[in-house]
Amino acid sequence: MRESQIMFLQYLTGILVLVFGSFHFLLISVLSPSPEKILYIYNGANATHVLVGGTLYYTWVKAVYSSLIWGSVFELLLTFLVYHVFNGFRVILSELIPGGRAEKIITYALLVVALVVFIWGSRTVVVSLAGGL
Amino acid sequence: MTIENKKGWISWFNPFKYGTDRWMFALHRLTGIALGLYLIAHVWETSNILNGQVTWDKIMVDLDYPFGAHYGPFILSLILIVAVYHALNGIRLTIVENGLMLPKPYRPEFPYKAKSLRGLNNLLKIVLGIFMILISAIGVIFIFTGVIV
Repeated sequence: MRESQIMFLQYLTGILVLVFGSFHFLLISVLSPSPEKILYIYNGANATHVLVGGTLYYTWVKAVYSSLIWGSVFELLLTFLVYHVFNGFRVILSELIPGGRAEKIITYALLVVALVVFIWGSRTVVVSLAGGL
Repeated sequence: MTIENKKGWISWFNPFKYGTDRWMFALHRLTGIALGLYLIAHVWETSNILNGQVTWDKIMVDLDYPFGAHYGPFILSLILIVAVYHALNGIRLTIVENGLMLPKPYRPEFPYKAKSLRGLNNLLKIVLGIFMILISAIGVIFIFTGVIV
């Protein structure tokens, strides 16, 4: 791909991350299936972090990951994010370490890391939709 | 490119030679790197939902209480502010780097004050700055209290 096309995709994925990322933020607040839509609930006496009822409780997170709609949102968000993040890393690194050989090494090294992150994240989404490990 | 002209990442933080755009660029890079590293950690963290409730609960509690105090909401707030900055400056960059909301090109004359740093671009910065404060405030209030303003 030409650099201009890569940069166009960088802008495009940036906007898409903004859209899907907003859903992600809404999910841990207003759209959460938990009864109390709060991230952190502290028990007053010894100030322990009470998870039950909050958005981060196992049951509610599990419920979110079992939903096909949220699974698709996560998968798309992950795809756009991995592209945006690792292309960003590539641009920064190849700017700091100039040269054709260095650029090739940077590109392929980051491609490997990007694939690992993408597969690891997709595994969470796909396995959850399939009913867990 | 000769080696003397290569200043590397140090030049991101030269406060004397460049205007606000340069600072926003440096911050955009720094926040980008931070968010990228956070993505990797976040993908690992959320993947633990597959490992059962005991593991999940432990990780949630540990991440809230990392260095002997409830730093969870503070860390989350920091990530939120960083993400809001990167997102809003990203909108500005998408507009400006495509040549929109910039003045017409002109013949460079001493003392070479870039006109591109004036006009609508500056207005855009102010508008997005206000948005950043508003969205960050809403987010931080939600993280700490659970109240959605």
